[in-house]
Parts: sequence; C-alpha cells; structure tokens
Amino acid sequence: MAQLSQEVKAEPNLTPILDMVFQLITFFMLVINFKSAEMDLSIRLPVVGSARPVETHGQRGLLVLNIDQNGNLKNYGGIVQNVESYIAREAYASRLAAHINADDKEAAQDLPTTIVIRADRATSFKMINRVIKACQDNGFLKFTLKAMNKEA
Amino acid sequence: MARRRKRRSQSDVELNLAAMLDMAFQLLTFFILTFRPAPVEGQISLRLPPPQAVVVAKNAQKAGADTSNTNPVQGVNTLTISVFADPQSGLIKSLGVGETQVSGMAALGGKLKEVFADPGNPFDQVIIQVSDSCRYDELMKVVDVCTRQVLPDGQKLSKLSFVEVPSG
Repeated sequence: MAQLSQEVKAEPNLTPILDMVFQLITFFMLVINFKSAEMDLSIRLPVVGSARPVETHGQRGLLVLNIDQNGNLKNYGGIVQNVESYIAREAYASRLAAHINADDKEAAQDLPTTIVIRADRATSFKMINRVIKACQDNGFLKFTLKAMNKEA
Repeated sequence: MARRRKRRSQSDVELNLAAMLDMAFQLLTFFILTFRPAPVEGQISLRLPPPQAVVVAKNAQKAGADTSNTNPVQGVNTLTISVFADPQSGLIKSLGVGETQVSGMAALGGKLKEVFADPGNPFDQVIIQVSDSCRYDELMKVVDVCTRQVLPDGQKLSKLSFVEVPSG
C-alpha cells in the first residue's frame, strides 16, 4: 500500500497557465512604448487648453528636447553640457537624412525634423529661448510645444 | 518491424512545459517591470522662424508719395505682442498688442480677434517680445491665445517668433 502511494506522480497540466502567460506577454509587448524613454517624466508640463493630442502624421523625424526648471537640457536622463554642439550634430544628421531621401524637396528650404520641446512650467523664458535660438540657427523651423490639456 | 511500429505509436510524447513556462514568466516579469504608461500629453505645433524686422514694406514707397493712402499699416505683416513679467516671480505683469496695453489674457484674446477679424489686416505672423524672466507656463498662456486666432484665409495662426527682452 505504502509502495503504491509513492509511485503516484502529480503532474499538473501547465498548458492553461502557459496560455495565460503568453496572452499577458502579448499584451505587454503591444502596449510597450520605448519612445517614453526619451521623455523625462519628472518634468511638469504647463497646462494649456488648446493643446491638441499628439499627431505624428506627416512628421518624418522628431527631436525631443527636455528642459528642466533649471534650464538644463536633458537627453535620456543625462544633462547635455554643450547645447549648441548637440543641436548642431542633430541638425547635421537631419540634413544628411534629408539629402539621402532624394525626393525630399522641402529639405532644401528647411530641416524636416520637428523639434519637440518639453519644458518645465517653471522654466524661465531665457533658458528656453537659448535652446530655440540654437535650433533656429541650425535650420530647424518646425516646433512642437508640449503641454497638458488639463491638470494631471 | 510491425512490432516496432506498434510500440512507437503507443508511446506518448510528453513535452516538458516547465522550462517554457519559466522562460515565459521571465519575459512577463521584464515587461511588467519596464511598463511605464506615458501620460497623455497635448501639443501646440508652431512654425518658429527667426525674428525678422517688425515692419516689412512690401511695395516700398516714399513717404507722402501716395496722398490717397489712408492706411498707415499697409505693408506691415508682423504684429508685435509684448509680454513683460515680474523679474522675481516670473508672472506676467503687463501685456501689449502693438502700442496698445491690454489688461489680461481675455483682453488680449479680444484685441487679437478684433485685429484678425478685419479682412484688410495685413498681419500673417506674430512676434512675441518676452521678458527673459517670464515663466514658461505664463508664456504658453499667450501662445495659447495666439494659436486660437484665425487668419483671413481661414488658417490658424501658427507662425510665431520670440524675442527676448531683458527684464528690469
């Protein structure tokens, strides 16, 4: 009798749990957004009523610039020390990409990349204008100012 | 041979799902830990050319050459808005449209609406002169009012330029 009970093996059916786990993985894979890594979520955006939901239609390249309340330009969590040279590098890359795309007639006039400014609401205009001016000097004319529709 | 075939067909193939489940759980853990839902953000799209001269005479004309011209702003296509902020707090102290002072955002909106409602108005872009100490959220209120304006051709105003003015 004792020998019989030792031979009984408990083999749970793992198929349903595996199905469920795969469904969860599929869900997370679909909703994961690697672009959020370039956004500094500690920045408190201003609240503007007319801010429209983000539209990426027709926008070929985005350069996200996070500016904290001290005026530091942040990129993937790190502070960019030399703002002018960083933007000049990005402009060069954008111009190169535009030239590779031969049918891009607009690139001859101004850079196709849109500058996305995510600045803290308490940042002084002087700090923001420094970045805007550096972008304009390098040929960027399309800007998008990020804001919240309502207080979070 | 026939015996062998019989034996094979009878034996069950049992996959070991435990290893696969372990891997799936690891993937699941990774996705759960890296999942950070981004807040819903809005945006204001603008075309920000570098600031140019405030007055641009399209058809240069000597003063007094055309005595029938009763519109002194003919040829001017840039409207100037002045935003002066308190140097300490960064809050807006005073606002002006051209030479006219306006008392607040509602008055600014009303004045701009009045300017842009005129079918003969020559303005198609706006220069905003801003104190360097002005807070970004205060400036965005002005930008918000500007971007709500509709040009005579039905397009929304999106061509703005910023000029920094030293506060004090």
